[in-house]
Amino acid sequence: MMTGSEMVLEARELSRVFTRGSESIRAVNNVSLSIRRGEFVSFMGPSGSGKTTLVNLLGCLDNPTTGELDLAGRNIFGGGKVLSERKLTKVRRELFGYIFQNFYLIHTLTVRENVALPLAFYRKPGAEAEVEKLLKMLGMEHRLDHLPGQISGGEMQRVAIARALVNSPEVLLADEPTGNLDTKRSVEIGEILQDLNRNRALTIVMVSHNPELARLGGRRIEMRDGQAYDV
Amino acid sequence: MITPFQIAYKNLLRKKVRTLLTLVGIMLSTWVLVSLFGFNRGYEKALNRDIDNMGYQLMVMAKGCPYEAATMMLQGGKGLRYMEQSMVNDISREPEVDKITPILMQAFFDPNKGESGGIAGYFGVDPASYPAMKPFFRFRSGGWFHDESAAEVVMGYEAAELEQRAVGDLTLVPEKNVRLKVVGILERTGTQDDGTIFVPLKTLQRIAGTSKITTIGISVKKDADMARLENKLYQLKDVQVVSFSQVKQTIMKLIATARVMVLSIALIAVLIAMVGVVNTVLMSVLERVQEIGILKTMGAMPGDIFRLVWTETLILCVGGGIAGIGFALLFARVTDILVRRILPYAPSGGLVAIDGRLALLTLATIVTVGLLSGLYPAWKAGRVRPLDSIRREG
Amino acid sequence: MRLIAVTTISLALLTCFVAASAALAAVACDLNDADRDVPRLFPNSTSFSSIYVSIEKRGGAPLLKRIENRLGTSYLPLYAPIDVPYTLYEIYRGKEKVGYIHGVNQKGQFGGIQLFMAQDLNGRIKTFYIQKITGASAGKFRDPKFTRKFVGLSLKDFDAYDPVTGRGTGKIAEITNPAPEMETDFYGVLRGLKKNLILMDEFIYSREHGKP
Ligand SMILES: Nc1ncnc2c1ncn2[C@@H]1O[C@H](COP(=O)(O)OP(=O)(O)OP(=O)(O)O)[C@@H](O)[C@H]1O
Ligand SMILES: [Mg+2]
Repeated sequence: MMTGSEMVLEARELSRVFTRGSESIRAVNNVSLSIRRGEFVSFMGPSGSGKTTLVNLLGCLDNPTTGELDLAGRNIFGGGKVLSERKLTKVRRELFGYIFQNFYLIHTLTVRENVALPLAFYRKPGAEAEVEKLLKMLGMEHRLDHLPGQISGGEMQRVAIARALVNSPEVLLADEPTGNLDTKRSVEIGEILQDLNRNRALTIVMVSHNPELARLGGRRIEMRDGQAYDV
Repeated sequence: MITPFQIAYKNLLRKKVRTLLTLVGIMLSTWVLVSLFGFNRGYEKALNRDIDNMGYQLMVMAKGCPYEAATMMLQGGKGLRYMEQSMVNDISREPEVDKITPILMQAFFDPNKGESGGIAGYFGVDPASYPAMKPFFRFRSGGWFHDESAAEVVMGYEAAELEQRAVGDLTLVPEKNVRLKVVGILERTGTQDDGTIFVPLKTLQRIAGTSKITTIGISVKKDADMARLENKLYQLKDVQVVSFSQVKQTIMKLIATARVMVLSIALIAVLIAMVGVVNTVLMSVLERVQEIGILKTMGAMPGDIFRLVWTETLILCVGGGIAGIGFALLFARVTDILVRRILPYAPSGGLVAIDGRLALLTLATIVTVGLLSGLYPAWKAGRVRPLDSIRREG
Repeated sequence: MRLIAVTTISLALLTCFVAASAALAAVACDLNDADRDVPRLFPNSTSFSSIYVSIEKRGGAPLLKRIENRLGTSYLPLYAPIDVPYTLYEIYRGKEKVGYIHGVNQKGQFGGIQLFMAQDLNGRIKTFYIQKITGASAGKFRDPKFTRKFVGLSLKDFDAYDPVTGRGTGKIAEITNPAPEMETDFYGVLRGLKKNLILMDEFIYSREHGKP
């Protein structure tokens, strides 16, 4: 068995129920799972199966209805505990970097400024914080002063990855990172993620519909009706 | 590398027209406000200057004569009351008195003025003491009288213009048909002195056949207790005391009414501008909910977001405020002319006085009110949750 | 009691200031009380309107030069800068314009002379009125016995008479000085009249007859 300290993420009987009027949807239903430091986990499954909801819970973007969550050996949720927005933010900025299908770059800021943006709010002690080095590593050194509107979708996602990494997170959460990209770009992004996982021992939690991409991860989890199954 | 200030500033540039309109709104209300504040002070200053130009702070008159000019206008000079010239000596013994001068107001009937005759007023002044009361008088040509009973006149600018007189010309005192020679013509002062004809006191007394005077002008020593002197003068028999500080207060009171009205207009302008600020900033928050959510996933605290949005308000208010003050300074003369049209009595000189302190005060007011209006949008932005953005993609 | 006195005085002071500032604005020559004076000077008139014309607006420096030439600059000064507005009263009977009243300032021996004339649409003098003149026998100039002599005259009559030298013939030469001891003012009146007629000709009549 593994020791607790190697577990970066540990969920026990995690559930998330949405109520819409009289109807209630159990989007995540009693999910228990552990993710080790350095793992590359891919979530797959049909639309509406609860992937996004689960990943948001793991990434502290949302509070679970019931269940417990430990992050880096520290209990975050459990026993009906609800964290304030401030406390959640503190957990998030220590542990996580996020990338999304829609990149969410700020259109008024240049590539360089977008990547530097998290540092305007918080600089984690010992963080990499080297914007240009990161962008160079991601092959974006020739686009430093471009605006997001002037670069391609694949390039935008690289910028988003650089931004997610600037505060040296332990876990990179990626919800369908290639959902808006063509096959070639998707492969490129996949390779970048795999590279980060291998060379930097970055833990990656990814949702993807793309089986090829999902295969990059060492571990695959299939979601169905709010429940998770290791494949 | 990038500061919250830059983020806010770049965000405002996103909707240039909207930002510009908001800035113009703030600018206009600042303009109104600073001009109004400036007017408040400038008007009082100008009034003070006018009253200082009287040369004396107290005037003693024989009772029954509310005000020399008013009397002359309404009663055709027949209602003038006289007092003994010896009173000047009595009063000059008071310790508060700095300078004192006897004056004789005299009006003569001129049958050849207007359809059925009119009044010609003369101001008999003592060549020894009167000029010292009006050190600011400047002569356009000529100078004061050659001796204390010379057959000479000094004319105010307007009086000389009306009578088409130049130095060396003659004038004629109607009724008495006494010829007097013009020896001096004053520069324009913007006060009623412009319309006055000055004659040596002794000369006028001789013409009018009196040894008395109508008025005593008193200037009070700098730190003297004016109220005490006033009270003492009230004890004198059959005289009336006019204190120009009281007159000033009354005029200021009359002006205050008009000021309240203008002030309320200014407040409405500020309010409208602030509604504009709230609208602009709130809109930009609502448009950016997703972006704000993303900032939160990057580790921005509610307070960070609050400050970010507040900074936008601050930029708008400081920018608009400075522009407004700039405009107010640039167009102070224009404002002056506008204000002059509205007011019943406008003293000479600049009415709108804007200085650095006043500008800062106005800016502080605008920024404070602006930041207060920014509170709600900023608070709202601070409460956006990261999920709000992600879910919105639909 | 004291408060009332102070208020009265303040108001009096205020009116003085207002009067002073009004005086600042008007250097030109106005009727003292137009509402009363106009019907007197122009019998049968029913209404009037004041218009303001200045040499500057009507033609600027060239016009000023022409007027000065016609006056003979050295003897008949205008006494007014180019931008001073002249008040001109347009006189109406019902809706129909019937004439004008206009006044000028002229220097007299002891003070300014203000002379007004009412003219019909052809520039003929209907009434001559001296609003202000100073001198021991100034009344003689204001006497209708004197002013009536000017009725019917027009600018043409000055063709034959020079009010600067006092030489000439015609109707004006026949007018005698009612106050010989006030010779300066007698010629002042004649010169002022000529000036008034020339100004009116430039402002109104020569324009209406299509001359330049
Ligand atoms: N905020 C919410 N309110 C109500 N219901 C929600 C909310 N978010 C998600 N759901 C519901 O929960 C279920 C799971 O949704 P989720 O977004 O996690 O699915 P998913 O597996 O990510 O699907 P996709 O592959 O389409 O992204 C769906 O039925 C969805 O309608
Ligand atoms: Mg999803």
